[in-house]
Amino acid sequence: MRQAFLFLALGYLLISSDAAWATPHMKSARFPNGVKLVVDESHAAPVAMVQVWLKVGGRDEMPGKTGLAHVFEHMMFKGSRKLGPGEFSKRIAAIGGNDNAFTTHDYTAYFETVPASRVDEVLGMEAERFAHLRLDAEEFAKEIRVIQEERRMRTEDDPNSRLFEEISATALRLHPYRNPVIGWMQDLRRLTIEDVRSFYKAHYVPENVIVVIVGDVEFEHVKAVVGRTFGRLRPRSAPPRFAPVEPEPLGPKRMVVRLPAQLPMVAITMPVPVWRPGENDREVAALAVATQILAGGYGARLQRDLVDRERLAFQASAGYDPFGMGIDLWFAYGMLGPKQSAGQFEAGFWRLIERLASHELDLDTLEAAKRNIIADEVFAQDSLYLRAKEIGRLEAVGIGAEHRDAWLEAIRKVGPADVRRVIHKWIRADRATTGVLQPKAGKGGRS
Amino acid sequence: MRILLSCLAVMLVHVSAWAVPPIQQATLPNGIRVLLMEAHDVPMLSMQLTLPAGSRFDPLGKGGAAALLAAMLTDHTARHDHDAWAEFLDRHALRLGSDVDKDALHVSLTVLRESLNDGMGALAEALLYPGWDENRFSILRQDAVFAARKALEEPGVVANAAALEMLYGDHPYGHRSEGSPDSLQRIGMADLQAIYRRQVKPAGGVLAVSGDVTMPELLKLVRQYFGAWEGSPAMARQDIAEPRLVRGQQSMLDMPTSQTLVQFVRLGPARNAPDFFPIFVLNHMLGGGGFASRLMEEVREKRGLVYGIYSYFVPLTIGGPFTIMLQTRADQADEAERIVRQVMQDFVSGKISQRMLDAAKTHLVGSFAQRLDSNRERVGLMSMIGFYGLPLDYLQTWTAHVRAVTLQQVRQQAKRWLRFEDWNVIRVGPIAR
Repeated sequence: MRQAFLFLALGYLLISSDAAWATPHMKSARFPNGVKLVVDESHAAPVAMVQVWLKVGGRDEMPGKTGLAHVFEHMMFKGSRKLGPGEFSKRIAAIGGNDNAFTTHDYTAYFETVPASRVDEVLGMEAERFAHLRLDAEEFAKEIRVIQEERRMRTEDDPNSRLFEEISATALRLHPYRNPVIGWMQDLRRLTIEDVRSFYKAHYVPENVIVVIVGDVEFEHVKAVVGRTFGRLRPRSAPPRFAPVEPEPLGPKRMVVRLPAQLPMVAITMPVPVWRPGENDREVAALAVATQILAGGYGARLQRDLVDRERLAFQASAGYDPFGMGIDLWFAYGMLGPKQSAGQFEAGFWRLIERLASHELDLDTLEAAKRNIIADEVFAQDSLYLRAKEIGRLEAVGIGAEHRDAWLEAIRKVGPADVRRVIHKWIRADRATTGVLQPKAGKGGRS
Repeated sequence: MRILLSCLAVMLVHVSAWAVPPIQQATLPNGIRVLLMEAHDVPMLSMQLTLPAGSRFDPLGKGGAAALLAAMLTDHTARHDHDAWAEFLDRHALRLGSDVDKDALHVSLTVLRESLNDGMGALAEALLYPGWDENRFSILRQDAVFAARKALEEPGVVANAAALEMLYGDHPYGHRSEGSPDSLQRIGMADLQAIYRRQVKPAGGVLAVSGDVTMPELLKLVRQYFGAWEGSPAMARQDIAEPRLVRGQQSMLDMPTSQTLVQFVRLGPARNAPDFFPIFVLNHMLGGGGFASRLMEEVREKRGLVYGIYSYFVPLTIGGPFTIMLQTRADQADEAERIVRQVMQDFVSGKISQRMLDAAKTHLVGSFAQRLDSNRERVGLMSMIGFYGLPLDYLQTWTAHVRAVTLQQVRQQAKRWLRFEDWNVIRVGPIAR
């Protein structure tokens, strides 16, 4: 699923003068067939994270075929020319590794954490299944049932997820973020193995591949290995990404979801811009800082004002992903107790936004917000998985991992007036879609 | 304050090619054990102080008291009200957190190297100078009541609460650490203060630290901020009764979901169980090893009945729950349950091959380094080692222990733990009418 609020890792030297600390060396290479390799060496433990990223995701599906990118991800584990169904994961386990994959609207990634000495083997296996996937009809018939269970578990039986699914579909008219990555159940029931095969032909081409390796490896060595595995795939051109321009909202929208639930919830969303390096750095960084002030740290304004002081919800937060493609659907939400009303929460939310849009922000709050965004980048360096993921997603959405430092620099430049201005411009009631989860009375409401 | 014991670095011979970083240990005169693993590649530290003040110390009928205490400790202090405290933590980018499990209360900190001094001061202030603000207490309690009610939308939470009640009844492990809407409502500030007064003491506490610091630097700060703290908890970790065995129970809870959750539960092994490693390997083969486990193979891969199925046990001071869990479309629940029973029966009757065992051991041994690849994970492991009194070379000998597990041992443990008649079954889902 798409990540709501994940920042990338950037140059540490901006925040610390500690000499004992080395900047990571990110190195990259591009092969003639379009495959790209990015390596971040880290020799602290004899482990490596290998991630294969594809520039294809839920956004590239045709209408009526939602969920296909994710279904395809599952099929990657169902056998290739050399490996039987399920054998890929078994082999990874047998070399002391763990593997998995994820799909979002914007990209698909396959990853393995393995002993560093086995990286070559893993790259060979990844390239083999990429080139020679079996796509067997019987395996598909079983796997589509697994995915329907996944949807039941994550969405159908979870009223909060359901609200977010519906609100996305209501808020956006054209942008593919309006469809769930897992797919609508109606579509999941009608997908066929032929759909999967044509998706494979169209999108699983070398030009869409980014290999990211973080860990105890040597760049020159893995470059040679990727060269003789992924680098030898026959070049084929990738279709352009599906990227319609979302029309500007013409006024506020409201919707209600009535489902069996214990307590109500309200969510407020609106389309906002994402980062285009060199074009809108200040604006997007200011939106990130504004969201941090609303939802980050111990003094988060949504929690402090709406939960602690005004008692309009028992939990409130917000999220923004500056690294989406085209737009992001910015959101805030409140979890409501039995006697807290959606209307009062909304009114309180817009009063808070109005205060931030009309008053000069005090510098201590601003500095703390920026410092915490930057600290999160450092804390993210603690995990090989997050380090690789930050590189991969910047590459997959077209920003480029080499822009990591520019993002931190943009955060550092945000001033109080910038925050006020972006809130005034983007976080507006007349641009918002508001959704309410109303618990449906009746059977099983309480257990 | 003087320091009583000097550092003891444990560097034992180990089988893997990779030198697991040693755990350095020091003990303060007041009884706090400091465990450190140095890691200098990122300018940050993670740490966690673990004390015997978990939810087993909740007064009967007041489940969630220790969890509320944990929330109160990091919410404000006697020196900083809530707003000032939030401002202080944000200014220094301190990630101060707290939570409880059945046995222990944890207060944790993630901090940039440059803010270590402020961070250590904040950790100590939270623990040693509680604010007991009545207004904040009533807000936190009410929010906890609502959150506990919201959590009842999750079938897993409903099943978990039912399982604990079924297995343990009035035993101190018999409720969710978070509490229920009703139990939280009954808690008063005095309940929190009583747990604090009796259990939040330095003697026997474990401060596990991983990150960009050396032992002398660390000890200087620990002495400075925790040196004057005195006392021993009223009840030691080990003071707890064994629950009576519950087997063969069945329960069905109505929920308006499309899936039915099926949970198999029984009492599992304790943390210090002599057969810990054979049971651990057995569980990995059964349902703890993801796609490498038999339950995943049979229920998902062969039949497409579930997205996930897994088994786990929670090794505590005494046996915590041993659980097998799946979710499937309601009309498939019987079939899924039948397959699980068949897998258990196969394990009990010895249908475990040397090849399967070797595959599980290779997977576990090979992926061991991954369990240690972040400060947060290292702190979790060291806290567990310190709190449950495991040997300091536990990590160095871990892979050797796994390798030493024999087929006979695994078959023996399967007979002991997986006989279906010793288990209980809880279902949460729509009851057909």
